[in-house]
Amino acid sequence: MINMILLFPLAACILVLLIRNRFFNIWMVNLYALVHIAASCLLVFGNEKTAGLPYFAVDNTNGIFLIVLSVVYLAAAIYNTGFVKTLAAPDRRISHYSCMMMVFVLAMTGTILSTDLGVSWVLMEAATLSSAYLIYFYKTRHSIEAAWKYVFICSIGIAMAFVGIILLNISSGDVNSLNFAKLYETAAGFDVKFLKLAFIFMLFGFGAKMGLAPVHFWLPDAHSESPSPVSALLSAAMLNSAFLVIVRVFKILEIADCTTYARMILMLMGFLSLFVAAVFIFHIKNYKRMLAYSSIENMGILAIGLALGGAAYYAVILHLIGHSLAKTSMFLTSGNIYSLFDSKRVKSVSGLLCADGKSGWLWIVSFLAICAFPTSLLFISEFLIIKTMLADKHYVLCVVFVLLLTIILYGLGRVVIKMAFGELSEDKASVIETNKTKLSICMWLPQFVLLVMLFVFGVYIPDCINEIIKMAAGTF
Amino acid sequence: MTTGLIILFGLTMLYLASTSRIIAHIRILIVQGVLLFLICACAGEYGSLFNLAFLAAETLIVKSIAIPWFLCRVLRQTHSNRDAGANIPHFYCLVISSIILLAGFLISNYLTSVKMIAPIYFGVSAATIIISLWLITVKHKVLSNVIEFITMENGIFLLSLSVAKGMPMLVNMGLLLDLFIAVYILGLFVNEINKEFNGLEVSNLSDLKDYENND
Repeated sequence: MINMILLFPLAACILVLLIRNRFFNIWMVNLYALVHIAASCLLVFGNEKTAGLPYFAVDNTNGIFLIVLSVVYLAAAIYNTGFVKTLAAPDRRISHYSCMMMVFVLAMTGTILSTDLGVSWVLMEAATLSSAYLIYFYKTRHSIEAAWKYVFICSIGIAMAFVGIILLNISSGDVNSLNFAKLYETAAGFDVKFLKLAFIFMLFGFGAKMGLAPVHFWLPDAHSESPSPVSALLSAAMLNSAFLVIVRVFKILEIADCTTYARMILMLMGFLSLFVAAVFIFHIKNYKRMLAYSSIENMGILAIGLALGGAAYYAVILHLIGHSLAKTSMFLTSGNIYSLFDSKRVKSVSGLLCADGKSGWLWIVSFLAICAFPTSLLFISEFLIIKTMLADKHYVLCVVFVLLLTIILYGLGRVVIKMAFGELSEDKASVIETNKTKLSICMWLPQFVLLVMLFVFGVYIPDCINEIIKMAAGTF
Repeated sequence: MTTGLIILFGLTMLYLASTSRIIAHIRILIVQGVLLFLICACAGEYGSLFNLAFLAAETLIVKSIAIPWFLCRVLRQTHSNRDAGANIPHFYCLVISSIILLAGFLISNYLTSVKMIAPIYFGVSAATIIISLWLITVKHKVLSNVIEFITMENGIFLLSLSVAKGMPMLVNMGLLLDLFIAVYILGLFVNEINKEFNGLEVSNLSDLKDYENND
């Protein structure tokens, strides 16, 4: 199955590049999404875990990450079917776009499945490079600026992570392996001084990919300038895969008894991310950038949850699932809004409910989901994180946490309400009426399904999924 | 012998800091590639013939031929020969880089007690990485930034040589492939930036902000 999930896109890419037919390309992207989710389910819920490949396996930690990636990619691929039809680009560009999207998903899947830190690193960088074309897809001044910053900052970040890997190699003494299982086995004997230094480099390197402040600068630009399905993949899938690598490295420090140090840095970066998000969201002018800052906020919450430990590990996994589903839904809906109003300015969008009821309600419900309105899954996760903070007697942290979340909630709410309600100006109504015909069922159905899942999971999580979440939380 | 080569490698960074012609920077990349190959060959820790062939391919073919050739092509297409008007005058760049390099040597003295690493490699590579990062913030042209990114990667390569046991082969291969593709993509973007903005000034790339309206 792992062979299937990793080799299928390579064959599909060759076909897509050879047969430059828009219809064929779209369906190849969808076919890979179906293969991906089928293979992921078989791998995670079935018995076959390794498939004899030396560097890739499904274990207790990465199973849930793989399933989340599959679901997000499937939603993005279905949306993509409608989205590509709205584009006026020639077939050649669509074929490149489809090819790079599959390579991007392949790189993320590889990062998640990898059992070796070195291989994870290589594939993480491959994900950066393949998504650069996707961000540059519109070929405007802004998209080239965003893509340049993205490739440059992430490549330097990931190079710093490599320095961290070298330092880890130094600290590991005679152990000449980067295999996670081997590292966990021997971590207790590592040179602590070099290990701590290695963690700083890796946290900043992979943290740059994850979007943690203060190394988040590429994120708002890249998320806002890329096509919506790509923004959804970047935010809901790529950040998670970088987080998985950080989780695995964190575990090495836990075994080597440097937990206090690692937790302190994670906590610091987490709160800094929340602070940055709160400051920028408060006066945001561009709704796609707002979503990007919301991603930074949620990555901050994940870092804080990881730093808290104990019961918060379970909350972290719930939050990761909830954020991925809600953010995919929001980014995809933002694509509808952009198609309707042809602008990313908050100022230019009002009366979304009048313009297109479906997109308007999806926008509002997605907002409720992301701001942890009960019974959204994010409500449970944030509640559990706050509960852990109180149980551990971190009262000041808890107050700051709630305060920052409230500011962010206000910022998001202000923008969403302004966009969704209000009157639609008459001069825009005719243009919007024409644009509305472009929106097909594919452009709202995935969001609807994701939101239903999100609100149902808040009340009831099926046993099989709960089992995987518990297993993952247990291995953190 | 190896120590001399490593010191020479450190000195190339000073040359990079003190010149403004981009073609000279590209020539420095060729020199660094050759020096890295000689360091690997002299150190004699390449193990099998396959490893030696790989290191030769990595340092000579990719670092000293393929990447500089590609950058020269980009340079010709963009007609940008000088990175004049850096944030800090070249003399001060040279002074600051020298201080960083000196600090690198001092660190290597301090690290003689750590058995897993070769101190001089570690000191010079750390200095190279820091000088490269610092020059990225100082220089004004995007092409210079790409060159400093490559010198930083060269520094990291030297750092990986400092570990006595070496990095796993697969990781080295992946690193090389990623570096090559990253440089290729950045090179393509340099061309696009030149077309779109009529120049390679980094300051052009500052349209995306939060406090102004962007579409």
